[in-house]
Amino acid sequence: MSTTGVPTSNGKYALELQDVHCYYGSFRAVKDVNLKLHDKKITAFIGPSGCGKSTVLRALNRMNDLIPGGRVEGRILLRGKNLYDQDVDPVEVRRRIGMVFQKPNPFPKSIFDNIAWGAKINGFKGNMKELVEQSLRSAALWDEVKDKLDQSGLGLSGGQQQRLCIARAIATQPEIILMDEPCSALDPIATLKIEDLMRELVKNYTIVIVTHNMQQAARASDYTAYYLMDRSDRAGELVEYGETDQLFTNPKDKRTEDYITGRFG
Amino acid sequence: MSQDLQPGNIGSYPEDNDLKKFIDNRKRGGLLWRLSFQLATLIAILALLALLYNIFNGAFGYVALQNKVDPNALVLAMEEDQMLSSPKTVSSEDDNELVKRIENNPNAIGFFGYAYYNDNTDKLKLVSVEGQTPSRETAESGEYPLARPLFIYSAADVMQENRAIGAFIDYYLTNVNTVIEDVGYFPISDELLNGATTSWSEAVGDQAEALQSYAANPADVSDHDIRISGSSTVYPLTRQMAIQFRRAGFQGGLDLQQTGTTAGFRAFCEDMTADITNASRPITRAESEACGDKKRTPVEFRVGTDALAIAVSSKNTFLENVTKDELRQIFTTAETWSDVNPAWPNEPIERFIPGADSGTLDFFAETVFNRKLPELTESELVKILEANISTGLMRRYEAEKPLAERSQAELVDLVLERVVEQKVVGSWKFTESLFNRTKIEEEVARIPQGELQWRSWISPKFLITPQSSTPELAGVRTALFGTLWVIAITILVALPIGVGAAIYLEEYAVMVANPILRRVNAIIQTNINNLAGVPSIIYGILGLAIFVRAIEPITSGTLFGISDPTTANGRTIISASFTLALLILPLIIINAQEAIRAVPNSLRQAGMGLGATRWQTIWSHVLPNAIPGILTGNILAMSRAIGETAPLVVIGASTFITVDPTSPFSKFTVLPIQIYQWVSRPQPEFRNIAAAAIIVLLILLLTLNASAVILRNRYSRRLS
Ligand SMILES: Nc1ncnc2c1ncn2[C@@H]1O[C@H](COP(=O)(O)OP(=O)(O)OP(=O)(O)O)[C@@H](O)[C@H]1O
Ligand SMILES: [Mg+2]
Repeated sequence: MSTTGVPTSNGKYALELQDVHCYYGSFRAVKDVNLKLHDKKITAFIGPSGCGKSTVLRALNRMNDLIPGGRVEGRILLRGKNLYDQDVDPVEVRRRIGMVFQKPNPFPKSIFDNIAWGAKINGFKGNMKELVEQSLRSAALWDEVKDKLDQSGLGLSGGQQQRLCIARAIATQPEIILMDEPCSALDPIATLKIEDLMRELVKNYTIVIVTHNMQQAARASDYTAYYLMDRSDRAGELVEYGETDQLFTNPKDKRTEDYITGRFG
Repeated sequence: MSQDLQPGNIGSYPEDNDLKKFIDNRKRGGLLWRLSFQLATLIAILALLALLYNIFNGAFGYVALQNKVDPNALVLAMEEDQMLSSPKTVSSEDDNELVKRIENNPNAIGFFGYAYYNDNTDKLKLVSVEGQTPSRETAESGEYPLARPLFIYSAADVMQENRAIGAFIDYYLTNVNTVIEDVGYFPISDELLNGATTSWSEAVGDQAEALQSYAANPADVSDHDIRISGSSTVYPLTRQMAIQFRRAGFQGGLDLQQTGTTAGFRAFCEDMTADITNASRPITRAESEACGDKKRTPVEFRVGTDALAIAVSSKNTFLENVTKDELRQIFTTAETWSDVNPAWPNEPIERFIPGADSGTLDFFAETVFNRKLPELTESELVKILEANISTGLMRRYEAEKPLAERSQAELVDLVLERVVEQKVVGSWKFTESLFNRTKIEEEVARIPQGELQWRSWISPKFLITPQSSTPELAGVRTALFGTLWVIAITILVALPIGVGAAIYLEEYAVMVANPILRRVNAIIQTNINNLAGVPSIIYGILGLAIFVRAIEPITSGTLFGISDPTTANGRTIISASFTLALLILPLIIINAQEAIRAVPNSLRQAGMGLGATRWQTIWSHVLPNAIPGILTGNILAMSRAIGETAPLVVIGASTFITVDPTSPFSKFTVLPIQIYQWVSRPQPEFRNIAAAAIIVLLILLLTLNASAVILRNRYSRRLS
């Protein structure tokens, strides 16, 4: 058992992964992850394609359950409670841990309904209009869409759609927001906007972001976890985890250094 | 690029001319495929057109109608009755009496043979009809409407074989003008009379001279008999000629009957019980053909002209001319002169007419009362009904729907059905009707009381009348209702179950981890796919065993105490619907599964990622997006169910039923079964109504499909 995840700082953790293994059917995609995610901080997952970043991310809010054959072993603790315990309802987990997906996936409904639906099903009581406005403002989308709230969310540009999905996720006021490459389809300006947005959001939320963009991870995150596929059994593993500044300037592992300096492959 | 990917080393691609040829070759291959696809499309379109043509061809075209009773005669009888029973109508056999009553009464009007008027020109004023005054010329030319020609008919071989006949006709033509005015008719012009004489000479040929000498000496042909039949109008004239012929010396038998023109032609042409027939109208083509069948060629001799005079008192100051329609009103329903024409005085009309037995009255009626059945008013139609059907039947119709409340068209139909007893005795397809019209007309002319009519077999009436054993009276009402009931319940049952099953299989079954359950689900899926291909008759057998027999108390409604007393068994709409629902279930499931599968997974993740339950996600995102596809499957399934016959035959749909289905527990029939049953009848007219019923079925199908398509499009538009 390797213990690469080193907790630092104040010791307040949002999530704790202990000996996590992820399977698709009989295939072990990720092995032996131990990781403590810091509360109200941004943690970036980096690593080469196929190493299991998305898999780990999905394990955090039990989205893997939705994949036929998807299975997680080990413990993921939210305030000391294992998310994978028998008596834990995955619906509640997802309600507390929101997700923004790699590909923008707004509902084929109006912009307003895209946000209101999640609030409604989660039993939101209050001024829906204000919630929608506030969420859209938080996602830096309000000015662009305030005149066409009744138009289809599919009519927006790719970047706008992604921000709509972020607005949708924060409207339900989760504790943790998971973002899987939220900027992969965006231009540099929109990317910066999302990063500003994350900086803003992290005051209230714990954020986990998967990214292939080294600068983004360096710029925007507080902590970084580097994953790599073990060539022997093709399973992804956590190579190094630590404060972003330290990991980028002074990586402990040779493999991490190779990757961040672009000597990977 | 690494060295070993240089094309030259491991192979080569065509270049320059070779490349061009290579591309052309590939294009040619594509063109061939395209042509064969176009051909296939063309064949499909042609087949469809042929099918539609065939259906259309049967649904429109001419029909030959045969009436048991001549509708014109009905109208005539009704009007004559109205005339005779109107108040202030005096009928007398004695024309002098009529003249005497009219002469001093300015409100009186009457009619009689022109001859009588002519004797009383000082006391009476002649009224012109349609602007024509009667005279020998206007009567002969037919310009004066109340005039008709008088004929006698015989045949060449009759006149040659029976010398007495040949001689009598010659005698007739030579002497008719000496007596005709005394009988009361206009003599014909010399021109017409010469024409008649010429016809005679041509007909008798070389015997002309001999016959002429016999005409001068009738005693010489006394070994022959003369039999005369026909018109009662011509009768007095012919009788006068016969009397003179006898006086001139004829000793043979002389049988003179007055049977009416039509019966006279029948006696002459078909029965051959007369050698000469009197006629007050020319022979019709059908009558002439009937003669030809018996090798008799009728020869026509015009002998005079009959005309009626409409007369008022010479003291009458307002009446100079009447139209035929005014005449009809004057002699039937009008009470005062101003009823007919506001310019005339508000005085009662006093009518003076010849006796009911006289040919004059009949002629007047025939000429003036020539309205057709559909032109009559409601009360007149009711009069015809009252006069012609039994009081018992009358009471029954009254109970069904009071006659006073029925529309004119309904009454016409009732008269046609009950009194005229109109029947379709022949029918022609659309194309035949268009291109073979003359042949059809000839055929119809040969049918006694036959009449040609253009008929659209599909009509509003066809939709609202129930089944009948007479094709022209039958409709699809019962079958249409049956189909609507059956389809509605079928869809109500199959759609929720089918969509539910599809949701389970697509959304839940895939998440099952237990390997045994996974196997079971896989087996279910395979079975559903296979069930879609099972022949429909097998569903019929299944339905018979389960719905009709095993759960009969439920399907017959007895369990709920609402069974139809006429059917104490399970052969009901609900059994049919359940059977058809089973039949289309696989179709609906498979299509719904496909539609659900086509909903992108990202939507499910988005929904559940927000903390929705699986069902919330399905309900709010999966189903709305799958509905267009589900509806498409539903259209296919519905079309299949509407056209299905075999399983319904097995579970026992009624083949002859005239009562509308009123509940799911009624016995029923459906359109395809009705069509099937009609097509298999021997009478050709059933094929016409089958074609019409097919059109109804097609229209129903298209309407249902169109509404589903509209629904689907509206839905898709809302989503995008
Ligand atoms: N639904 C699935 N079923 C089976 N195997 C899967 C599934 N999703 C991912 N995998 C496998 O799991 C491994 C990790 O995949 P994952 O998507 O987590 O990689 P990733 O690090 O997110 O890659 P990328 O950067 O390209 O998004 C890969 O080998 C992949 O083939
Ligand atoms: Mg990924």
